[in-house]
Amino acid sequence: MSNKTSKLDALALPFLIIGGVLIIFAFVFNFTVTPMALGDIEVPEPAMIGGKIVTTTLLLSQKIFFYHMPVAVISMVALAFTAAYGIMFLRTRNTKYDIRAQTATEMSLVFVSMTMVSGVAWTRHDWGAWWVWEPRLITYLILMLMVIAYFILRTAVSDPERRATYSSVFGIIVAVNAPISFMITRLVPSTHPVVFRSDSGLPPLMLIPLLLTILGFSLIAFALFRQRVRARQMEEQVESLKLRLDDLRG
Amino acid sequence: MDPILEVIYSTVLSSAPYLIAAYALMWAVMLIYIIYSNRSLSNTEKQLSALEEAITQLESKA
Amino acid sequence: MSKKNDAQQMSATYKKPSTFQHYKILLGKDLRREFRTREMLTSMGIYTVLVLVIFGIALMQAPEKVDILQMAGGLFWAIIVFTSLLGLNRSFSYEKEDGALEGILLVPLDRSVIFLSKLTANLLFLLIVEIIAVPLFYIFFLSGLPMHPTLPWALLPLLVGTIGIAGVGTLLATITINTRGKDVLLALLFVPLIVPLLYACVSATTLAITGSPTLMDAYVPALALAIGYDVIMILVSWVLYDFVVSA
Repeated sequence: MSNKTSKLDALALPFLIIGGVLIIFAFVFNFTVTPMALGDIEVPEPAMIGGKIVTTTLLLSQKIFFYHMPVAVISMVALAFTAAYGIMFLRTRNTKYDIRAQTATEMSLVFVSMTMVSGVAWTRHDWGAWWVWEPRLITYLILMLMVIAYFILRTAVSDPERRATYSSVFGIIVAVNAPISFMITRLVPSTHPVVFRSDSGLPPLMLIPLLLTILGFSLIAFALFRQRVRARQMEEQVESLKLRLDDLRG
Repeated sequence: MDPILEVIYSTVLSSAPYLIAAYALMWAVMLIYIIYSNRSLSNTEKQLSALEEAITQLESKA
Repeated sequence: MSKKNDAQQMSATYKKPSTFQHYKILLGKDLRREFRTREMLTSMGIYTVLVLVIFGIALMQAPEKVDILQMAGGLFWAIIVFTSLLGLNRSFSYEKEDGALEGILLVPLDRSVIFLSKLTANLLFLLIVEIIAVPLFYIFFLSGLPMHPTLPWALLPLLVGTIGIAGVGTLLATITINTRGKDVLLALLFVPLIVPLLYACVSATTLAITGSPTLMDAYVPALALAIGYDVIMILVSWVLYDFVVSA
């Protein structure tokens, strides 16, 4: 194992702890200091959802946003890493990039799941249904399906080199497809009423917990990524040692 | 009951279960993954050391 | 042609076939095979009819007042997606027999030519099935209803969508031939990837069928986005195809 790798691995545990502290601090900050609504207490404009007018008056559910949005951002970033490592694998045919691509996708799956559970809880309260066929939800649902399909593809190919190539290619395609689906689901005019929201800039008291959560979850994601990569590398070592043991026993 | 408090409770309490559920589920997903990751790492470490031991024993015999 | 030129050509003992010739030969092989056996076309055609029957039964209990025009675009696209899945699964399965694909790979040709020829073959087969499916769909679900003059515009998103389906599907079908449980896996990889295209095409088709007054305002961006999806996804698939087919 190279020196650089072990240095990064040494950072994993501190990063995990710092990240945990940051997200807990942001969580507390979010509920104690951050105001409930933008600016003074005023009712945000009503939105049309599924043919019903919904007014979002000072709902506590708005607080979900402070974890939901960072987690969603990180899931997309992880997917970009999947594609980057996939390209590196296809260029170099080095297995270590395949391990990293696989692990990055795993991170993406964890964070996509977190986005989905928080998003569905918010949808249930604010829109009154567990599921609404709305652009954001559709995009995330198919993103989740694609990430799951990535792992099913991996288990369905037995040859390691072929598995690495196929999953790299699929990872790249998923990463290209995700922004396209974001674009299309938002820009295609639907025949049904769509939610119109103009997101103005956030006041500092809202921005602080948001940025701290992004930073904290990024550190946690990095730490877990390193840990999983190390575990996978060791698993490979175990496999090769098993073969050697068989040879020695004759 | 104080009318202002009534309004505040009616907006806050109705969303509270979903808020708690959202945070609890997010924490649960994260924690389950961390525990899974740690366990698989320690299992692999154990396997690795056991295999290395077995190999050194066999090699010293040979 | 001058005599000098003829002599030059005769003296040449070997001439490297052009990329376009490779393409024509590979495409011709697929088309000849299909028109002899009619394996894919018959199964896809019958499958289309079966899905139409299922939709008919499923909608039978719906009240007369339900506006079928609003749903027709979506229903029709569901048929296209299911049928194309069936066809894409078949399009590569026979290449595995007797090492046919390995044979093609031994020829010193640009690998992306294989992609283009397969894409064209799949596209042609899908279009042929659609030629059957469109009138059948009209007869079963839309006949007897007052039609809007904008109806023919529904054919444009159909073409754009089919090109995208053939492009992405060709790459994914090549991936899944070497996997366990390939039929299910193709659906798993294929359906989420084409959702954006489906979204845009269903929107454009529905607008054309319902003939809403603001047709062009919404129709053009939907179609433009579908074309954008086609261009990007086919380019990416084309670049990545080399790695997949030689893996």
